Amino acid sequence: MGSKYSRNSRREIRNGYAYIMPALIFMVAMIGFPILYNFYISFFDMTAQSVGMGHAEFIGLKNYEAIFSDPTMWKAIKNTFFYTIFCIVFQFIIGFAFAMFFSKKFKAARYLKGLMVISYMLPMTVVGLMFKFMLSPTNGVINDILMNLHLVKAPVEWLLNERTVIWGLIIANTWVGIPFNMLLLSTGLDNVPQDVYESASIDGANSVQRFFYITVPMIKQSILSVLILGFVYTFKVFDLVYVTTGGGPVDASEVLSTYSYRLSFKTYYFGQGAAVANVLFLCLFVVALVYLKLIGKDEVS
Amino acid sequence: MMKQRTKNIIDTIIAVVIAAIFLFPMYWIIISSLKSDTEIFAQVQTWFPREIHWENYIDQFQNKSNTANIFVQFKNSWIIAIGSMVLSLVLSIPAGYGLSRFKIPGKKPILMIFLTTQMLPCSLVLTPLFLIYNKAGLLNTYLAPILATATISIPFVIMVLRPIFMECPKEIEEAARIDGCNYFTAFLRVTLPICKSGIITAAAFSFIFAWNDLVYSITFNNKGDLLPMTSGIYQFLDAYGTKWNMIMAYGVIIVLPIVVLFVCLQKYIVGGLVGGAVKG
Repeated sequence: MGSKYSRNSRREIRNGYAYIMPALIFMVAMIGFPILYNFYISFFDMTAQSVGMGHAEFIGLKNYEAIFSDPTMWKAIKNTFFYTIFCIVFQFIIGFAFAMFFSKKFKAARYLKGLMVISYMLPMTVVGLMFKFMLSPTNGVINDILMNLHLVKAPVEWLLNERTVIWGLIIANTWVGIPFNMLLLSTGLDNVPQDVYESASIDGANSVQRFFYITVPMIKQSILSVLILGFVYTFKVFDLVYVTTGGGPVDASEVLSTYSYRLSFKTYYFGQGAAVANVLFLCLFVVALVYLKLIGKDEVS
Repeated sequence: MMKQRTKNIIDTIIAVVIAAIFLFPMYWIIISSLKSDTEIFAQVQTWFPREIHWENYIDQFQNKSNTANIFVQFKNSWIIAIGSMVLSLVLSIPAGYGLSRFKIPGKKPILMIFLTTQMLPCSLVLTPLFLIYNKAGLLNTYLAPILATATISIPFVIMVLRPIFMECPKEIEEAARIDGCNYFTAFLRVTLPICKSGIITAAAFSFIFAWNDLVYSITFNNKGDLLPMTSGIYQFLDAYGTKWNMIMAYGVIIVLPIVVLFVCLQKYIVGGLVGGAVKG
């Protein structure tokens, strides 16, 4: 650096780093280092036993071979993508509809919109158990409602049936995710100038045309953020599945994070648990890169 | 003009109906927690309890049959949430300030690091952190979940605070320095009080993130007397099976502080979510 910076700006740099460093060091130690360590673990024969003895053997890609030869892994991958994609579709569509409706200017809109955000702030443990109760085939209120509306003849088994369990989880998580989608999309909608709509109306555009030719292109950035952030937050689901179904029945609702947890902390194959976590990481990393590329420009300027 | 008013009324009614349907699970957890055993086990659920039964709450506090005491779990939740909040604020307030106020090289990659860490799944660091904490002797301590949950809130809080500090005029600090403050005391005594709303948002989020945590506590602590309520209710399920009135009552007790915080600070929390998520 030397002559590149004046004395004043050198002091500014020193000061700036003094404020930033504690948090940065903490995050690097608690997240950065563990990520690297996780890669390392995934190449070693780390189990409760070998950790206890203090020596774990390097086994190359054996952990990865082991997890990919287990059908549960493929099921977990399939479930994670299935769950994520359907959660996002529902959250986004309903969230967008809510955002459009609540962007109308009437008094209660702002307040009621804010109130609905509470579902996003609740602990997933409670949300999971709440839906477990509401989806129960014997005394669940959702079956009561569906039967009263004559949508089903007999109570749906939801979380107890291998075929429906993932849909039960999707319903629960959609409820949590709607306000997040709604909020971010409303922020986008608020920034669309009203006179654009007015001039479009004068030119004879109907509401469907206005939506697809004005609203959607104008808030493209918000839509992209919501979809990608939604993907990242949904893909890493753990608490909800762990509490509500524990990955069951059998392994019908196992997702990558619960599978990794099971390998590491139920069977104590830390190496294999780490390997599954790395697969999860890889999937997210690709999506995160796309996101950072899209948002990076305006955030750091 | 009249037409506009009727339209507003209709919109308001539709909005209330939407909100009511959406918030129905909240209503359901509360009324279910007040039902008698007979009512909760009935095939068809009543939409309002025939009799209000506070026993579901009272029984919990008399510790009749739960293995772990609710008082202990209640206390643990507070210790973890407050500890994590303090740690997160101490680290992230200065960092958010530093990233908004100073011209420093490497700002872009540092921001990127915080942005990325915010998006990472906890499952990714669970196994390595467990092994690291094991070596460091941190397993079965309050510190383990406190340190781990702070990693969730720190990047989020930094992203919420940075724009708020950027809006705070630099001239006020300069004036304070002329009056005898140094850089740090000017930040502490002048900037922080001005950006109070940002600090409140930051505190609320770091508290909530830690309060809601389940996975770090159950992974790092296997002693029952260190576990928070989020894990207590889960074990409660094993003990009580399908006594949903009891489980929902426990759920209400967990959710209560979050709801109180949310109602009091709704404006800050909603604003913070948008700020932290969109830009973060």
